[in-house]
Amino acid sequence: MAEDKKTILIIEDEVAMLRALVEKFEKEGFNALSAQDGEEGYEVAMKENPDFLIIDIIMPKMDGITLMKKIREDEKWGLEVPIIMLTNLSDPESVSEAAKYKVYDFLVKTDWRLNDVVKLVKERLEL
Amino acid sequence: MKIKRKIIVKLSDKVLLIIFLFASGLLFTVQFVIGGSLAQIFVLSYIVYNFMFVMAYLVSYRFSKRITDLTFKIEAMAAGDISKRLRVAGYDEISQLTNAMNELMSRLQTGVAQDVSTHKELAQAKSDFVTLASHQLRTPLSIIKWYIDFFITGDAGKLTDGQLKYLKEVYKSNERLIELVNALLDVSRIDVGTFSIEPEPTDIIEKAKAAISKFKAEIYEKKINLELNFDELPKINLDPRLTQIVFENIFSNAVKYTPENGTIRFEIKKTVHDILIKISDTGCGIPREQQPKIFTKLFRADNVRRIESVGTGLGLYIAKAVIEKSGGKVWFQSPSLDLLLSPGKKDKGLPLDKRDQGTTFFITIPLKGMKKKYGTKKLTSLEH
Repeated sequence: MAEDKKTILIIEDEVAMLRALVEKFEKEGFNALSAQDGEEGYEVAMKENPDFLIIDIIMPKMDGITLMKKIREDEKWGLEVPIIMLTNLSDPESVSEAAKYKVYDFLVKTDWRLNDVVKLVKERLEL
Repeated sequence: MKIKRKIIVKLSDKVLLIIFLFASGLLFTVQFVIGGSLAQIFVLSYIVYNFMFVMAYLVSYRFSKRITDLTFKIEAMAAGDISKRLRVAGYDEISQLTNAMNELMSRLQTGVAQDVSTHKELAQAKSDFVTLASHQLRTPLSIIKWYIDFFITGDAGKLTDGQLKYLKEVYKSNERLIELVNALLDVSRIDVGTFSIEPEPTDIIEKAKAAISKFKAEIYEKKINLELNFDELPKINLDPRLTQIVFENIFSNAVKYTPENGTIRFEIKKTVHDILIKISDTGCGIPREQQPKIFTKLFRADNVRRIESVGTGLGLYIAKAVIEKSGGKVWFQSPSLDLLLSPGKKDKGLPLDKRDQGTTFFITIPLKGMKKKYGTKKLTSLEH
């Protein structure tokens, strides 16, 4: 069973949010990894090559867009891994920046219930 | 304002008159002193008059023209173009006047320029503040939303029905705050003019239905009789998000203010140049003296404040801004003629003065679609 678990990496600087997301995804049968800033997120991502990424935009050290750009530079794993941006920003500059790097979806935190975020991830991973 | 018109005696005419009197006097003096026949004097006076006339005309014409020119230009400036400057020629009084006028205009212009830029800076600062505040607010709001959701979904363990009921109230209030933040963001984008309109072929009926479906629960709960009347329409160029925001903002009012068993009528029709959308309700209507204010930001009518405390007072402001910026129109009628002439179920058979007043909102969108508007920000709110 353990091998079937999909790994999801959540990169979010707000601890309470990070905890909520990690707890929810673990409950839903994921192996949830976490990071609290862009640089740490990049390190974990390159080491673990998770199946899915959820990234915030405004973060210390490295913002989410830059992080996504760097991940996409990795040709083996990073080019295709599905990424969701989960953020407080809703301006089209951020959305179109994110679209440049093949973001799977761009979600505004307040508009989404955790159940629906999980559903979206599961749909993408065909679970 | 009535302007008193005086008969204007041109400066040149005055000069001519003075010269004429002066010359006549001079000629008579000459005749008196040196004598001579009447014919001689006549010829002489003829020559002198002509000469003087030409000279005087030339001199006075020049002054008169300069003053008329000056007046004309100052009028043009007063009418709006204060960036122009007057040409200064010579060193006489008129040149001095012209210089003074130019100086005045320069000062005025810097004043206006400062005013405009201060205004813009203020609007920008306001928008920056709202954006920052909204984003800062969204973080705790999401945290509250998600953690309450742990209880509502049962992820955090089982609660009693009573506890769940209370938590759902907290959740609902939190959702209201989220909507308010979204609406505030939208208003700041409208005020600074940074929101964009991106039309694409859109099924307007589908958007109307999507807007209605958001209020299904409330319609059902209040047993509202919903009458839909949609024409068959081809896809037209509309910004799908904005169209839905407008429908939701106006339809939500109809739902909110229509009493139990009331009627809402939603019509979409094609006219010659426009799509005409009519949303009528049998609500309490809008007090006549407050009607001019209902599209104003943060305005809520007295009678609805008493009925329902929920409402940001931003919905109609946003709807109007969106519709007008995209080339359409929005207006309303209260009491609603439509519902007075053919009443809904509840009011049928009641005398006119016993029926609910109701309101009808009208929207037109040109058949050729919404005007594209470039901007850096999208509107986000879907107000309930």
